[in-house]
Amino acid sequence: MKCEWVKENILLYVYNELPDDARYELEQHLARCGDCTAELKSARKFNALLSELPVEEPSPNLVASSRMRLQEALETTQQGGLWQRLVFDPGAWLRQVRFAPALAAAIFIVGFAGGVGATYKLVNNGGGASPVASGTSLPAQASVMGIQSISQEPGSNQVTIKYNTVSTQEAQGSLNDQRIQQLLLFAARNNYNSGVRMDSVDLLTQQPNDTHVREALIYALRYDSNPGVRLKALDGLGAYVKSDPRVRDAVLEGLLNDSNPGVRTEALHLLEPVRADSSVRAVLQRLAENDSNQYIKAQARNVLSQLPEFD
Amino acid sequence: MPAGAWAVPFAVGEGSLRERNREEASGTQDPTVRGLMAERSLGRIDDTLLVREAQRGNRAAFEELVRHYDQAVLRLAMHLTGSEHEAQDIYQDAFLKAYKSVGNFRFECSFYTWIYRIVTNLCLDHLRKKQVRKEEAPVATDPTGESYDLLEQVPDGRAGANPERDLMRRELGGRIGKALEKLTPRERMVFELRHYHGLKLRTVGEVLNTTEETAKNTLFRATQKLRGALADMR
Repeated sequence: MKCEWVKENILLYVYNELPDDARYELEQHLARCGDCTAELKSARKFNALLSELPVEEPSPNLVASSRMRLQEALETTQQGGLWQRLVFDPGAWLRQVRFAPALAAAIFIVGFAGGVGATYKLVNNGGGASPVASGTSLPAQASVMGIQSISQEPGSNQVTIKYNTVSTQEAQGSLNDQRIQQLLLFAARNNYNSGVRMDSVDLLTQQPNDTHVREALIYALRYDSNPGVRLKALDGLGAYVKSDPRVRDAVLEGLLNDSNPGVRTEALHLLEPVRADSSVRAVLQRLAENDSNQYIKAQARNVLSQLPEFD
Repeated sequence: MPAGAWAVPFAVGEGSLRERNREEASGTQDPTVRGLMAERSLGRIDDTLLVREAQRGNRAAFEELVRHYDQAVLRLAMHLTGSEHEAQDIYQDAFLKAYKSVGNFRFECSFYTWIYRIVTNLCLDHLRKKQVRKEEAPVATDPTGESYDLLEQVPDGRAGANPERDLMRRELGGRIGKALEKLTPRERMVFELRHYHGLKLRTVGEVLNTTEETAKNTLFRATQKLRGALADMR
Protein backbone atom coordinates (compact mmCIF):
# COMPACT_ATOMS: atom_id res chain seq x y z
CA MET A 1 0.00 0.00 0.00
CA LYS A 2 1.73 3.06 1.21
CA CYS A 3 5.16 1.49 1.31
CA GLU A 4 4.83 0.44 -2.29
CA TRP A 5 3.95 3.95 -3.36
CA VAL A 6 6.81 5.36 -1.34
CA LYS A 7 9.33 2.92 -2.74
CA GLU A 8 8.21 3.77 -6.28
CA ASN A 9 8.73 7.43 -5.61
CA ILE A 10 11.94 7.37 -3.61
CA LEU A 11 13.96 8.00 -6.73
CA LEU A 12 11.93 11.07 -7.64
CA TYR A 13 12.19 12.26 -4.07
CA VAL A 14 15.92 12.00 -4.09
CA TYR A 15 16.05 14.10 -7.26
CA ASN A 16 13.61 16.59 -5.80
CA GLU A 17 11.15 15.94 -8.59
CA LEU A 18 8.12 15.25 -6.44
CA PRO A 19 5.35 17.86 -6.25
CA ASP A 20 5.08 19.49 -2.84
CA ASP A 21 2.10 17.51 -1.59
CA ALA A 22 3.58 14.16 -2.58
CA ARG A 23 6.89 15.12 -1.03
CA TYR A 24 5.16 15.99 2.22
CA GLU A 25 3.26 12.71 2.32
CA LEU A 26 6.40 10.78 1.61
CA GLU A 27 8.32 12.49 4.39
CA GLN A 28 5.48 11.88 6.79
CA HIS A 29 5.58 8.18 5.95
CA LEU A 30 9.35 7.97 6.29
CA ALA A 31 9.13 9.31 9.81
CA ARG A 32 7.08 6.26 10.74
CA CYS A 33 8.52 3.51 8.56
CA GLY A 34 11.92 1.94 9.10
CA ASP A 35 11.77 -0.13 5.95
CA CYS A 36 11.25 2.79 3.68
CA THR A 37 13.82 4.86 5.51
CA ALA A 38 16.32 2.12 4.82
CA GLU A 39 15.28 2.25 1.18
CA LEU A 40 15.97 5.98 1.12
CA LYS A 41 19.38 5.44 2.66
CA SER A 42 20.18 2.87 0.04
CA ALA A 43 19.10 5.17 -2.77
CA ARG A 44 21.23 8.00 -1.41
CA LYS A 45 24.21 5.69 -1.01
CA PHE A 46 23.87 4.65 -4.59
CA ASN A 47 23.79 8.24 -5.75
CA ALA A 48 26.93 8.95 -3.77
CA LEU A 49 28.60 6.00 -5.44
CA LEU A 50 27.84 7.48 -8.82
CA SER A 51 29.80 10.57 -8.01
CA GLU A 52 32.97 8.53 -8.35
CA LEU A 53 32.64 9.67 -11.93
CA PRO A 54 32.50 13.35 -11.14
CA VAL A 55 31.42 16.04 -13.54
CA GLU A 56 34.40 18.21 -14.22
CA GLU A 57 34.47 21.83 -15.18
CA PRO A 58 36.07 22.41 -18.55
CA SER A 59 39.44 24.06 -18.10
CA PRO A 60 39.72 27.70 -19.19
CA ASN A 61 42.20 26.51 -21.77
CA LEU A 62 39.71 24.13 -23.28
CA VAL A 63 36.97 26.73 -23.33
CA ALA A 64 39.19 29.29 -24.97
CA SER A 65 40.53 26.95 -27.62
CA SER A 66 37.03 25.66 -28.38
CA ARG A 67 35.78 29.20 -28.84
CA MET A 68 38.63 30.08 -31.15
CA ARG A 69 38.10 27.02 -33.25
CA LEU A 70 34.41 27.81 -33.53
CA GLN A 71 35.07 31.39 -34.46
CA GLU A 72 37.33 30.30 -37.31
CA ALA A 73 34.67 27.96 -38.60
CA LEU A 74 31.95 30.58 -38.33
CA GLU A 75 33.91 32.89 -40.57
CA THR A 76 33.49 30.52 -43.44
CA THR A 77 29.99 29.35 -42.67
CA GLN A 78 26.89 30.71 -44.26
CA GLN A 79 23.74 30.78 -42.28
CA GLY A 80 20.99 28.70 -43.83
CA GLY A 81 18.44 30.53 -45.88
CA LEU A 82 20.52 33.69 -45.89
CA TRP A 83 19.04 34.83 -49.17
CA GLN A 84 15.62 34.15 -47.82
CA ARG A 85 16.30 36.34 -44.85
CA LEU A 86 17.74 39.10 -46.95
CA VAL A 87 14.48 39.29 -48.78
CA PHE A 88 12.14 38.71 -45.87
CA ASP A 89 13.92 40.14 -42.91
CA PRO A 90 11.24 41.88 -40.91
CA GLY A 91 13.51 44.62 -39.58
CA ALA A 92 14.90 45.51 -42.97
CA TRP A 93 11.51 45.13 -44.60
CA LEU A 94 9.82 47.44 -42.17
CA ARG A 95 12.60 49.96 -42.35
CA GLN A 96 12.73 50.24 -46.09
CA VAL A 97 9.04 50.62 -46.60
CA ARG A 98 8.25 54.32 -46.58
CA PHE A 99 9.85 55.22 -43.31
CA ALA A 100 11.58 58.37 -42.31
CA PRO A 101 14.92 57.30 -40.82
CA ALA A 102 14.00 58.86 -37.51
CA LEU A 103 10.89 56.77 -37.26
CA ALA A 104 12.80 53.66 -38.19
CA ALA A 105 15.26 54.32 -35.39
CA ALA A 106 12.41 54.86 -32.98
CA ILE A 107 10.81 51.56 -33.89
CA PHE A 108 14.10 49.73 -33.61
CA ILE A 109 14.65 51.15 -30.17
CA VAL A 110 11.18 50.27 -29.05
CA GLY A 111 11.48 46.80 -30.45
CA PHE A 112 14.93 45.86 -29.20
CA ALA A 113 16.00 48.23 -26.52
CA GLY A 114 12.90 47.19 -24.71
CA GLY A 115 14.58 44.03 -23.58
CA VAL A 116 18.23 44.97 -23.37
CA GLY A 117 20.00 43.04 -20.67
CA ALA A 118 16.69 41.50 -19.66
CA THR A 119 15.79 44.91 -18.42
CA TYR A 120 13.96 47.77 -19.93
CA LYS A 121 14.96 51.31 -19.25
CA LEU A 122 11.99 53.30 -18.25
CA VAL A 123 13.03 56.87 -18.62
CA ASN A 124 10.65 59.22 -17.00
CA ASN A 125 9.84 61.85 -19.60
CA GLY A 126 10.12 64.84 -17.35
CA GLY A 127 6.92 66.81 -16.97
CA GLY A 128 4.89 64.16 -18.70
CA ALA A 129 1.17 64.68 -18.72
CA SER A 130 0.61 61.09 -17.71
CA PRO A 131 -1.18 60.64 -14.41
CA VAL A 132 0.60 58.48 -11.91
CA ALA A 133 -1.45 56.96 -9.14
CA SER A 134 -0.48 58.42 -5.81
CA GLY A 135 1.71 56.12 -3.79
CA THR A 136 3.35 54.63 -6.84
CA SER A 137 6.68 56.34 -7.11
CA LEU A 138 8.63 55.52 -10.19
CA PRO A 139 12.36 56.06 -9.88
CA ALA A 140 13.89 58.07 -12.70
CA GLN A 141 15.34 54.94 -14.18
CA ALA A 142 13.74 51.64 -13.35
CA SER A 143 14.56 48.24 -14.77
CA VAL A 144 11.75 46.06 -16.02
CA MET A 145 12.53 42.37 -15.84
CA GLY A 146 9.33 41.37 -17.62
CA ILE A 147 5.68 42.11 -17.95
CA GLN A 148 3.57 40.16 -15.50
CA SER A 149 0.05 41.03 -16.46
CA ILE A 150 -2.00 43.60 -18.23
CA SER A 151 -5.55 44.60 -17.50
CA GLN A 152 -7.86 47.29 -18.64
CA GLU A 153 -10.60 48.86 -16.64
CA PRO A 154 -13.72 47.97 -18.57
CA GLY A 155 -15.23 50.81 -20.52
CA SER A 156 -12.35 53.17 -19.96
CA ASN A 157 -8.98 54.20 -21.18
CA GLN A 158 -7.24 53.23 -17.99
CA VAL A 159 -4.77 50.40 -18.20
CA THR A 160 -2.96 48.67 -15.41
CA ILE A 161 0.23 46.83 -16.25
CA LYS A 162 2.09 44.75 -13.75
CA TYR A 163 5.76 44.47 -14.56
CA ASN A 164 8.63 43.03 -12.56
CA THR A 165 11.75 44.82 -11.46
CA VAL A 166 13.35 43.59 -8.31
CA SER A 167 9.83 43.56 -6.92
CA THR A 168 6.65 43.69 -8.88
CA GLN A 169 5.54 47.16 -9.75
CA GLU A 170 2.64 48.71 -11.50
CA ALA A 171 2.31 51.27 -14.17
CA GLN A 172 -0.99 52.93 -14.46
CA GLY A 173 -2.04 55.29 -17.11
CA SER A 174 -4.16 55.78 -20.13
CA LEU A 175 -3.58 54.13 -23.45
CA ASN A 176 -2.19 57.40 -24.68
CA ASP A 177 0.53 57.35 -22.09
CA GLN A 178 3.82 56.78 -23.81
CA ARG A 179 5.08 54.65 -20.96
CA ILE A 180 2.08 52.40 -21.18
CA GLN A 181 2.49 52.10 -24.91
CA GLN A 182 6.14 51.23 -24.59
CA LEU A 183 5.36 48.53 -22.09
CA LEU A 184 2.59 47.15 -24.25
CA LEU A 185 4.86 46.99 -27.24
CA PHE A 186 7.51 45.27 -25.19
CA ALA A 187 4.99 42.76 -23.89
CA ALA A 188 3.57 42.00 -27.31
CA ARG A 189 6.96 40.96 -28.60
CA ASN A 190 8.84 39.61 -25.68
CA ASN A 191 6.67 37.93 -23.16
CA TYR A 192 6.88 34.16 -22.82
CA ASN A 193 3.35 33.99 -21.54
CA SER A 194 0.93 33.93 -24.45
CA GLY A 195 -1.84 35.22 -22.21
CA VAL A 196 0.08 38.39 -21.48
CA ARG A 197 0.98 38.78 -25.13
CA MET A 198 -2.68 38.36 -25.98
CA ASP A 199 -3.69 41.03 -23.49
CA SER A 200 -1.15 43.48 -24.79
CA VAL A 201 -2.07 42.87 -28.42
CA ASP A 202 -5.70 43.26 -27.44
CA LEU A 203 -5.01 46.67 -25.97
CA LEU A 204 -2.84 47.67 -28.85
CA THR A 205 -5.69 46.95 -31.25
CA GLN A 206 -7.49 49.88 -29.68
CA GLN A 207 -4.87 52.21 -31.04
CA PRO A 208 -3.87 50.98 -34.46
CA ASN A 209 -3.52 54.52 -35.70
CA ASP A 210 -0.15 54.74 -34.07
CA THR A 211 2.56 53.51 -36.45
CA HIS A 212 4.55 51.80 -33.71
CA VAL A 213 1.44 49.96 -32.68
CA ARG A 214 0.74 48.87 -36.21
CA GLU A 215 4.29 47.57 -36.46
CA ALA A 216 3.76 45.55 -33.33
CA LEU A 217 0.48 44.14 -34.61
CA ILE A 218 2.05 43.19 -37.91
CA TYR A 219 4.93 41.62 -36.05
CA ALA A 220 2.55 39.65 -33.86
CA LEU A 221 0.61 38.47 -36.89
CA ARG A 222 3.77 37.29 -38.53
CA TYR A 223 5.76 35.82 -35.70
CA ASP A 224 3.70 35.07 -32.64
CA SER A 225 3.66 31.39 -31.93
CA ASN A 226 0.15 31.45 -30.53
CA PRO A 227 -2.67 31.48 -33.11
CA GLY A 228 -4.99 33.25 -30.70
CA VAL A 229 -2.60 36.16 -30.48
CA ARG A 230 -2.23 36.21 -34.27
CA LEU A 231 -6.00 36.32 -34.68
CA LYS A 232 -6.20 39.18 -32.22
CA ALA A 233 -3.60 41.06 -34.21
CA LEU A 234 -5.60 40.43 -37.39
CA ASP A 235 -8.64 41.90 -35.64
CA GLY A 236 -6.81 45.10 -35.04
CA LEU A 237 -5.33 45.32 -38.50
CA GLY A 238 -8.43 44.48 -40.49
CA ALA A 239 -9.76 47.98 -40.85
CA TYR A 240 -6.47 49.19 -42.32
CA VAL A 241 -6.14 46.66 -45.07
CA LYS A 242 -7.44 49.11 -47.61
CA SER A 243 -5.61 52.23 -46.50
CA ASP A 244 -2.25 50.76 -45.55
CA PRO A 245 -0.39 48.57 -48.06
CA ARG A 246 1.93 47.26 -45.36
CA VAL A 247 -1.08 45.89 -43.50
CA ARG A 248 -2.46 44.45 -46.69
CA ASP A 249 0.85 42.72 -47.38
CA ALA A 250 1.09 41.32 -43.88
CA VAL A 251 -2.44 39.96 -44.01
CA LEU A 252 -1.75 38.52 -47.44
CA GLU A 253 1.32 36.84 -46.06
CA GLY A 254 -0.77 35.41 -43.25
CA LEU A 255 -3.26 34.04 -45.75
CA LEU A 256 -0.53 32.29 -47.65
CA ASN A 257 1.72 31.07 -44.89
CA ASP A 258 0.03 30.83 -41.55
CA SER A 259 -0.05 27.37 -40.08
CA ASN A 260 -3.47 27.85 -38.55
CA PRO A 261 -6.48 27.54 -40.89
CA GLY A 262 -8.57 29.80 -38.66
CA VAL A 263 -6.07 32.60 -39.07
CA ARG A 264 -5.92 32.02 -42.81
CA THR A 265 -9.68 32.09 -43.18
CA GLU A 266 -9.96 35.31 -41.23
CA ALA A 267 -7.18 36.80 -43.33
CA LEU A 268 -9.04 35.86 -46.50
CA HIS A 269 -12.17 37.58 -45.31
CA LEU A 270 -10.31 40.70 -44.32
CA LEU A 271 -8.80 40.96 -47.78
CA GLU A 272 -12.08 41.17 -49.63
CA PRO A 273 -12.11 44.98 -49.81
CA VAL A 274 -8.82 44.85 -51.67
CA ARG A 275 -9.43 41.77 -53.75
CA ALA A 276 -8.94 43.77 -56.93
CA ASP A 277 -5.32 44.59 -56.11
CA SER A 278 -2.95 42.76 -58.43
CA SER A 279 -0.90 41.17 -55.67
CA VAL A 280 -4.00 39.99 -53.87
CA ARG A 281 -5.43 38.60 -57.06
CA ALA A 282 -2.21 36.74 -57.81
CA VAL A 283 -2.33 35.09 -54.41
CA LEU A 284 -6.03 34.27 -54.69
CA GLN A 285 -5.45 32.62 -58.02
CA ARG A 286 -2.70 30.50 -56.57
CA LEU A 287 -4.87 29.46 -53.68
CA ALA A 288 -7.82 28.71 -55.94
CA GLU A 289 -5.65 26.34 -57.93
CA ASN A 290 -3.35 24.74 -55.40
CA ASP A 291 -4.37 25.11 -51.82
CA SER A 292 -4.63 21.93 -49.79
CA ASN A 293 -7.35 23.36 -47.58
CA GLN A 294 -10.63 22.85 -49.40
CA TYR A 295 -12.47 25.63 -47.69
CA ILE A 296 -9.80 28.18 -48.49
CA LYS A 297 -9.63 26.96 -52.06
CA ALA A 298 -13.37 27.33 -52.47
CA GLN A 299 -13.43 30.72 -50.82
CA ALA A 300 -10.61 32.00 -52.97
CA ARG A 301 -12.48 30.87 -56.07
CA ASN A 302 -15.58 32.56 -54.77
CA VAL A 303 -13.85 35.88 -54.22
CA LEU A 304 -12.18 35.70 -57.61
CA SER A 305 -15.45 35.01 -59.35
CA GLN A 306 -16.77 38.28 -58.00
CA LEU A 307 -14.06 40.21 -59.80
CA PRO A 308 -14.61 41.63 -63.24
CA GLU A 309 -12.35 40.00 -65.82
CA PHE A 310 -9.25 42.00 -66.62
CA ASP A 311 -6.93 41.17 -69.41
CA MET B 1 8.61 31.33 -45.02
CA PRO B 2 8.83 30.00 -48.55
CA ALA B 3 10.87 32.31 -50.71
CA GLY B 4 8.85 31.74 -53.83
CA ALA B 5 5.66 33.23 -52.48
CA TRP B 6 6.91 36.75 -52.13
CA ALA B 7 9.63 37.20 -54.63
CA VAL B 8 7.19 38.26 -57.33
CA PRO B 9 4.48 40.44 -55.87
CA PHE B 10 6.64 42.59 -53.67
CA ALA B 11 9.42 44.85 -54.65
CA VAL B 12 12.16 44.81 -52.08
CA GLY B 13 13.95 48.10 -51.94
CA GLU B 14 17.45 47.98 -53.37
CA GLY B 15 18.64 49.67 -50.23
CA SER B 16 18.13 46.63 -48.04
CA LEU B 17 20.93 44.47 -49.43
CA ARG B 18 23.52 47.24 -49.24
CA GLU B 19 22.35 48.17 -45.77
CA ARG B 20 22.83 44.63 -44.59
CA ASN B 21 26.35 44.38 -45.98
CA ARG B 22 27.31 47.54 -44.19
CA GLU B 23 26.09 46.09 -40.92
CA GLU B 24 27.89 42.78 -41.39
CA ALA B 25 31.19 44.45 -42.13
CA SER B 26 31.48 45.78 -38.61
CA GLY B 27 32.02 42.34 -37.03
CA THR B 28 32.78 42.51 -33.33
CA GLN B 29 32.59 46.27 -33.46
CA ASP B 30 28.94 45.73 -34.15
CA PRO B 31 27.23 48.67 -32.49
CA THR B 32 24.12 46.70 -31.68
CA VAL B 33 26.00 44.03 -29.81
CA ARG B 34 28.31 46.58 -28.24
CA GLY B 35 25.26 48.45 -27.06
CA LEU B 36 23.78 45.26 -25.72
CA MET B 37 27.04 44.33 -24.05
CA ALA B 38 27.25 47.73 -22.41
CA GLU B 39 24.15 46.72 -20.49
CA ARG B 40 26.00 43.76 -19.04
CA SER B 41 26.54 45.54 -15.76
CA LEU B 42 22.85 45.09 -15.16
CA GLY B 43 22.92 41.37 -15.69
CA ARG B 44 22.91 38.89 -18.51
CA ILE B 45 21.90 40.07 -21.92
CA ASP B 46 18.52 38.71 -22.77
CA ASP B 47 18.93 35.65 -24.96
CA THR B 48 15.82 36.56 -26.91
CA LEU B 49 17.42 39.72 -28.22
CA LEU B 50 20.65 37.99 -29.08
CA VAL B 51 18.78 35.24 -30.88
CA ARG B 52 16.83 37.78 -32.94
CA GLU B 53 20.02 39.56 -33.80
CA ALA B 54 21.71 36.29 -34.68
CA GLN B 55 18.77 35.41 -36.90
CA ARG B 56 19.37 38.61 -38.79
CA GLY B 57 22.86 37.41 -39.55
CA ASN B 58 24.68 39.19 -36.76
CA ARG B 59 27.60 36.91 -36.01
CA ALA B 60 28.77 38.89 -33.00
CA ALA B 61 25.39 38.33 -31.38
CA PHE B 62 25.62 34.62 -32.06
CA GLU B 63 29.08 34.47 -30.55
CA GLU B 64 27.81 36.20 -27.44
CA LEU B 65 25.02 33.64 -27.24
CA VAL B 66 27.58 30.88 -27.51
CA ARG B 67 29.40 32.30 -24.51
CA HIS B 68 26.23 31.91 -22.45
CA TYR B 69 26.07 28.20 -23.10
CA ASP B 70 29.40 26.83 -24.09
CA GLN B 71 30.69 25.84 -20.67
CA ALA B 72 27.54 23.80 -20.00
CA VAL B 73 27.88 22.16 -23.40
CA LEU B 74 31.52 21.28 -22.82
CA ARG B 75 30.77 19.97 -19.36
CA LEU B 76 28.08 17.68 -20.70
CA ALA B 77 30.10 16.44 -23.65
CA MET B 78 33.21 15.91 -21.54
CA HIS B 79 31.42 13.86 -18.94
CA LEU B 80 29.62 11.81 -21.52
CA THR B 81 32.57 11.03 -23.76
CA GLY B 82 35.31 11.07 -21.15
CA SER B 83 37.54 12.84 -23.60
CA GLU B 84 38.38 16.51 -23.97
CA HIS B 85 39.01 16.13 -27.65
CA GLU B 86 35.73 14.40 -28.41
CA ALA B 87 33.95 16.96 -26.27
CA GLN B 88 35.46 19.69 -28.38
CA ASP B 89 34.26 17.98 -31.54
CA ILE B 90 30.74 17.78 -30.20
CA TYR B 91 30.96 21.43 -29.15
CA GLN B 92 32.04 22.46 -32.62
CA ASP B 93 29.36 20.43 -34.37
CA ALA B 94 26.64 21.64 -32.02
CA PHE B 95 27.32 25.33 -32.35
CA LEU B 96 27.88 25.19 -36.09
CA LYS B 97 24.58 23.41 -36.43
CA ALA B 98 22.94 26.01 -34.23
CA TYR B 99 24.42 28.81 -36.31
CA LYS B 100 23.20 27.34 -39.54
CA SER B 101 19.68 26.71 -38.29
CA VAL B 102 19.08 29.60 -35.91
CA GLY B 103 16.90 31.07 -38.62
CA ASN B 104 14.43 28.25 -38.08
CA PHE B 105 14.18 28.83 -34.38
CA ARG B 106 10.67 30.07 -33.74
CA PHE B 107 10.76 30.58 -29.98
CA GLU B 108 8.37 27.68 -29.48
CA CYS B 109 10.69 26.58 -26.68
CA SER B 110 13.46 28.38 -24.85
CA PHE B 111 16.81 28.76 -26.54
CA TYR B 112 18.30 26.84 -23.65
CA THR B 113 16.13 23.82 -24.48
CA TRP B 114 16.87 24.20 -28.19
CA ILE B 115 20.62 24.18 -27.69
CA TYR B 116 20.46 21.26 -25.29
CA ARG B 117 18.40 19.40 -27.86
CA ILE B 118 21.06 19.89 -30.52
CA VAL B 119 23.86 18.82 -28.21
CA THR B 120 21.90 15.84 -26.89
CA ASN B 121 21.21 14.58 -30.39
CA LEU B 122 24.89 14.78 -31.20
CA CYS B 123 25.69 12.93 -27.98
CA LEU B 124 23.16 10.25 -28.89
CA ASP B 125 24.84 9.89 -32.28
CA HIS B 126 28.17 9.56 -30.54
CA LEU B 127 26.82 6.89 -28.19
CA ARG B 128 25.28 4.94 -31.04
CA LYS B 129 28.46 5.03 -33.05
CA LYS B 130 30.36 3.83 -30.02
CA GLN B 131 27.91 0.98 -29.59
CA VAL B 132 28.48 -0.15 -33.15
CA ARG B 133 32.23 0.14 -32.76
CA LYS B 134 32.10 -1.86 -29.60
CA GLU B 135 30.36 -4.69 -31.30
CA GLU B 136 33.05 -4.82 -33.96
CA ALA B 137 35.94 -3.79 -31.78
CA PRO B 138 38.90 -6.02 -31.11
CA VAL B 139 38.69 -7.18 -27.55
CA ALA B 140 41.47 -8.46 -25.35
CA THR B 141 41.66 -9.87 -21.86
CA ASP B 142 43.74 -8.27 -19.16
CA PRO B 143 45.64 -10.20 -16.47
CA THR B 144 42.67 -10.16 -14.09
CA GLY B 145 40.50 -11.82 -16.68
CA GLU B 146 38.46 -8.78 -17.54
CA SER B 147 37.92 -8.07 -21.17
CA TYR B 148 38.60 -4.60 -22.42
CA ASP B 149 38.22 -2.72 -25.65
CA LEU B 150 41.58 -2.46 -27.37
CA LEU B 151 40.63 0.82 -29.02
CA GLU B 152 40.03 2.47 -25.68
CA GLN B 153 43.60 1.84 -24.66
CA VAL B 154 45.06 3.84 -27.51
CA PRO B 155 46.42 7.04 -25.98
CA ASP B 156 45.15 10.24 -27.43
CA GLY B 157 48.21 11.77 -29.01
CA ARG B 158 46.47 14.81 -30.38
CA ALA B 159 47.37 18.25 -29.16
CA GLY B 160 45.33 19.38 -26.20
CA ALA B 161 44.78 15.87 -24.82
CA ASN B 162 45.65 15.22 -21.23
CA PRO B 163 46.65 11.61 -20.85
CA GLU B 164 47.13 11.75 -17.10
CA ARG B 165 43.73 13.19 -16.62
CA ASP B 166 42.08 10.62 -18.83
CA LEU B 167 43.89 7.80 -17.06
CA MET B 168 42.84 8.99 -13.64
CA ARG B 169 39.27 9.22 -14.71
CA ARG B 170 39.45 5.77 -16.16
CA GLU B 171 40.61 4.29 -12.86
CA LEU B 172 38.20 6.09 -10.59
CA GLY B 173 35.23 6.06 -12.81
CA GLY B 174 36.07 2.83 -14.55
CA ARG B 175 33.46 0.78 -12.82
CA ILE B 176 30.83 3.40 -13.24
CA GLY B 177 31.81 4.12 -16.81
CA LYS B 178 31.45 0.45 -17.64
CA ALA B 179 28.08 0.28 -15.96
CA LEU B 180 26.90 3.36 -17.84
CA GLU B 181 27.91 1.76 -21.09
CA LYS B 182 25.41 -1.00 -20.44
CA LEU B 183 22.59 1.47 -20.85
CA THR B 184 20.94 2.16 -24.17
CA PRO B 185 21.90 5.56 -25.64
CA ARG B 186 18.57 7.08 -24.62
CA GLU B 187 18.76 5.67 -21.10
CA ARG B 188 22.27 6.98 -20.82
CA MET B 189 21.27 10.45 -21.99
CA VAL B 190 18.30 10.67 -19.61
CA PHE B 191 20.42 9.54 -16.72
CA GLU B 192 23.29 11.82 -17.67
CA LEU B 193 21.09 14.88 -17.97
CA ARG B 194 19.08 14.23 -14.80
CA HIS B 195 21.71 12.84 -12.47
CA TYR B 196 24.91 14.46 -13.57
CA HIS B 197 23.69 17.75 -14.94
CA GLY B 198 20.69 18.44 -12.78
CA LEU B 199 18.14 19.04 -15.49
CA LYS B 200 14.57 18.62 -14.33
CA LEU B 201 12.78 15.63 -15.85
CA ARG B 202 10.42 18.00 -17.56
CA THR B 203 13.30 19.66 -19.37
CA VAL B 204 14.84 16.29 -20.15
CA GLY B 205 11.56 15.35 -21.81
CA GLU B 206 11.56 18.52 -23.88
CA VAL B 207 15.17 18.09 -24.87
CA LEU B 208 14.58 14.54 -26.03
CA ASN B 209 11.29 15.47 -27.72
CA THR B 210 9.24 13.26 -25.49
CA THR B 211 7.08 13.54 -22.40
CA GLU B 212 8.10 14.00 -18.81
CA GLU B 213 6.40 10.68 -18.05
CA THR B 214 8.54 8.84 -20.59
CA ALA B 215 11.66 10.50 -19.23
CA LYS B 216 10.66 9.36 -15.74
CA ASN B 217 10.21 5.77 -16.85
CA THR B 218 13.49 5.83 -18.72
CA LEU B 219 15.20 7.13 -15.60
CA PHE B 220 13.73 4.30 -13.55
CA ARG B 221 14.93 1.72 -16.03
CA ALA B 222 18.39 3.25 -16.22
CA THR B 223 18.72 3.40 -12.44
CA GLN B 224 17.63 -0.21 -12.08
CA LYS B 225 20.14 -1.35 -14.67
CA LEU B 226 22.91 0.62 -13.02
CA ARG B 227 22.16 -0.70 -9.57
CA GLY B 228 22.22 -4.18 -10.98
CA ALA B 229 25.50 -3.59 -12.81
CA LEU B 230 27.24 -2.00 -9.84
CA ALA B 231 25.91 -4.41 -7.24
CA ASP B 232 28.16 -7.22 -8.40
CA MET B 233 31.12 -4.94 -8.97
CA ARG B 234 31.87 -4.41 -5.32
